Amino acid sequence: MSAWTMGTRALDKRGSFFKLIDTIASEIGELNQEMVHTDVSLENGLGPPETHSMVRHQEDPCPEDEEAKGRPRDSGYESLSGQLSILDRLLHTHPVWLQLGLSEEEAARVLQAQPPGIFLVRKSAKMQRKVLTLRLPSEFEVPLREFTIKESTYTFSLEGSGISFADLFRLIAFYCISRDVLPFTLKLPYAISAAKTEAQLEELAQLGLNFWSSSADSNPPNPPPPHRPPPADGLCPGPWRQLCLINGVHAIKPRTPSELECSQTNGALCFINPLFLQVHSQDLGAGPKRPSARTPPANGSERPRSPPPRPPPPALQSPHTSPGLSGTDTQLGMPQTVGPDTQENVAKLGRKPTPIPPPRLKKQASFLEAENSAKTLSAQPLVRGQELELEQGTAGSAGGAPPADCCTRAQPPPTSAARPPCHGGRQRLSDMSISTSSSDSLEFERNMPLDSYEGDTNSSLEDYEGESDQETMAPPIKSKKSRHSSFVLPKLVKSQLRKMSGVFSSFMTPEKRMVRRIAELSRDKCTYFGCLVQDYISFLMENRECHVSSTDMLQTIRQFMTQVKNYLAQSSELDPPIESLIPEDQIDVVLEKAMHKCILKPLKGHVEAMLRDFHVADGSWKQLKENLQLVRQRNPQELGVFAPTPDLVDVEKIKVKFMMMQKMYSPEKKVMLLLRVCKLIYTVMENNSGRMYGADDFLPVLTYVIAQCDMLELDVEIEYMMELLDPSLLHGEGGYYLTSAYGALSLIKNFQEEQAARLLSSETRDTLRQWHKRRTANRTIPSVDDFQNYLRVAFQEVGSGCTGKTLLVRPYVTTEDVCQLCAEKFKVGDPEEYSLFLFVDETWQQLAEDTYPQKIKAELHSRPQPHVFHFVYKRIKSDPYGVIFQNGDKDLSPS
Amino acid sequence: MTKTVPCGNELHKFLIWDTAGQERFHSLAPMYYRGSAAAVIVYDITKQDSFHTLKKWVKELKEHGPENIVMAIAGNKCDLSDIREVSLKDAKDYAESIGAIVVETSAKNAINIEELFQGISRQIPPLDPHEKGNNGVICIHGGKPPSQGRRCC
Repeated sequence: MSAWTMGTRALDKRGSFFKLIDTIASEIGELNQEMVHTDVSLENGLGPPETHSMVRHQEDPCPEDEEAKGRPRDSGYESLSGQLSILDRLLHTHPVWLQLGLSEEEAARVLQAQPPGIFLVRKSAKMQRKVLTLRLPSEFEVPLREFTIKESTYTFSLEGSGISFADLFRLIAFYCISRDVLPFTLKLPYAISAAKTEAQLEELAQLGLNFWSSSADSNPPNPPPPHRPPPADGLCPGPWRQLCLINGVHAIKPRTPSELECSQTNGALCFINPLFLQVHSQDLGAGPKRPSARTPPANGSERPRSPPPRPPPPALQSPHTSPGLSGTDTQLGMPQTVGPDTQENVAKLGRKPTPIPPPRLKKQASFLEAENSAKTLSAQPLVRGQELELEQGTAGSAGGAPPADCCTRAQPPPTSAARPPCHGGRQRLSDMSISTSSSDSLEFERNMPLDSYEGDTNSSLEDYEGESDQETMAPPIKSKKSRHSSFVLPKLVKSQLRKMSGVFSSFMTPEKRMVRRIAELSRDKCTYFGCLVQDYISFLMENRECHVSSTDMLQTIRQFMTQVKNYLAQSSELDPPIESLIPEDQIDVVLEKAMHKCILKPLKGHVEAMLRDFHVADGSWKQLKENLQLVRQRNPQELGVFAPTPDLVDVEKIKVKFMMMQKMYSPEKKVMLLLRVCKLIYTVMENNSGRMYGADDFLPVLTYVIAQCDMLELDVEIEYMMELLDPSLLHGEGGYYLTSAYGALSLIKNFQEEQAARLLSSETRDTLRQWHKRRTANRTIPSVDDFQNYLRVAFQEVGSGCTGKTLLVRPYVTTEDVCQLCAEKFKVGDPEEYSLFLFVDETWQQLAEDTYPQKIKAELHSRPQPHVFHFVYKRIKSDPYGVIFQNGDKDLSPS
Repeated sequence: MTKTVPCGNELHKFLIWDTAGQERFHSLAPMYYRGSAAAVIVYDITKQDSFHTLKKWVKELKEHGPENIVMAIAGNKCDLSDIREVSLKDAKDYAESIGAIVVETSAKNAINIEELFQGISRQIPPLDPHEKGNNGVICIHGGKPPSQGRRCC
């Protein structure tokens, strides 16, 4: 890419860059945005026409008049709406429309006061899944319809649709412009779609649920641009509009070609081109870029319109709601009901980390430092190389530049080692474009000052570094030359590079973004989470004596990570909430990764030094060192090896893998490398003999290989993995091969001439037993995948159906305490009226105050016949009809 | 190694680990059978010794293994029954005394292997409701497989 970037750079200077842009296909719109500078954009005026039309489309309630109006309106619209994309608006205002905790009742109450097309996303208590609740126009039989959101391991999609999205925001954004399986497109509340600045959006977001009843949600306007035929917005007075909506349902809706392509439901295409969602604008944000004449006075054309009449009051009124709520005046009623929510929201915002800038400088420094250090020689140039290639690949495919020389450019001088690094780069390019091509680069950072954005860029570079460590076999001795040259790149180009890598952060999966987000949060001492993490890290660093043994130290770290994970899963400090970006079954995995990044990464050096100190102090370091020598001099048969062993080249490869392992901070990634080593050994054994081998043959070979590698540090590595790996992973292959590796090392440690029997020393046996016990016992420490300490409690209100919540309830917590917790969680005003019930075998049992719900649950689980049972928190004197548990409600069962 | 066995409405996915059976690796065994739902203990019907070793393993599993572990005894090399040293009756009696599944197999000719795993599958306790919610696939950490006709114990 560098040629291209630098070329554009030059063009840029000559002021004719935008001509080039015009020739570049729209697919690289993002790249354009990154590279075009304010001045250029200024001259360029508006972005590519299709961008506008897409956005306009979204705003336009009557698609068919689109053609009639043609271009002129584009500019009018654009100046009106500012330059925020739909995705931006959604990201900023999620506290308004993303209401996971909202009950069906409440959602209905909110939406019934809204015009058709307005929506909420909430979690259905019945199905335990997220649903999109959509306000329908009055011609439909029901006022609302729910669309279930399916979550797979990597994606979100609407049930029945073949289009899936990397996260919830993209899903919603897409349905704002294309209806696909919906009866019509989603509509943003007027205040949100009309907001011109992020600040305005933030203001709206602060209202949270209150938005819907506040004056901010003042209604929608009739004709925004004067020449638009007046579409009435409410339900009653707009026959014309209703017509449109009907047409939206029944008639073929005109779509732009690109849109058509993207709403095809027949398969492969997953993500939408960001151009759909984004006005070509964020670069313009800085200056006065638009002729102000085009911007009508902020309130001008929209104010005169009077809000349309409110729709009739919701038909269903809960008998328990206060009279104030049942009236037509929802504006009065709402604030009351949602009080707690608002507070929470405000509090959340107060605690919110907002800009998160400080670590940047430091980070950059460490980045450079790392680059300078001889150790990272191998990884660093590679990163650059990959990046170069990546960028060039993208640019090449779009701009027509031949990608032919990318490899030669990116690839370091050939060495004997394994895979060519170029390969890694390639792979990644395709991975990324497949998974998140719809991302737009700045999304989460958009609200941050430019410089902090650059900070993020750096961290994305770091990400790549981490990955390349893992993915490519960097030969230890590496092209000083290429590294040198990349390092000496002129500042100008370097900043470009960084910018470009910012673009690539947009290719990051939501998972990566979430991990990065959490890592940022962990450095921000203004948050509770950040404090927790930072305090712990500095405590560990400063108190070297606080642990009596290596195991003790690693165990406390593991415990801390598990606890913090639990905290994060339940806290509201993450914004946007993790559920909106990550499918539920992946949340724990993502949190675990984040823990590695924000806790293990900064601690890695310290932990390693400490482990070494411990081993030196107890003599095991010396013992291992001596015995390694001894074992290395043996021939394989003396070690009990009766299978083919890897030759020198293979041993060298394995050694490289082990060295890479040392650079990783994540125990998971380390284990991955260990697995690769084992795989390689198996392959060698099998290829050279044509037969399969079991553990009896594998262990001696592994021992032999480890001895040949002659790496004392492996001992520490194995210990690090064994103690820090997520307990749930210990049951997989990782645990198996960790055990094998530990066994092999123990064999070496205890290898002595006179040990003819070659038995593992009793000490090793003890250690293993203890480890086994401990890690097994560890399972009782709460982790999200281990639900032993969680209790699923359904909350039942007569009028409002069932809501479920999972509570942290330890084995010896009494029903009384659980009730208290429930009262808090479900926001019950009169807790004395409520109690915890067990619903099992079609009967209700009120649980006595001194019983232990977890024990009851355990007892029920241990019965030979599986029982369907539910813990329900409800009124003591409630009418019997309230409860309808059917088979379909299984999801509610405690987990 | 993994193997998926249908059982009723459920699919049981076996994760099969071979443990090093040699005496000198004995102390590693607890790590291998940690968290296992089932153990397949294999002996060689042509070697009486292997049947004795098997009994030692059963004892160890009873003492140190996970509670409720499903045990299956596989008399391998049944294709060589003409030189057998362990009678099927002995094996059956012993298996009954410890409440284990017993089956004679031939890894070489793929005899009874499927049956062995189905037998284990039937004895695996039904899933917890919460696991059902996840994906309906249970992961079982099996014990010692009869693969390659090798004697593991």
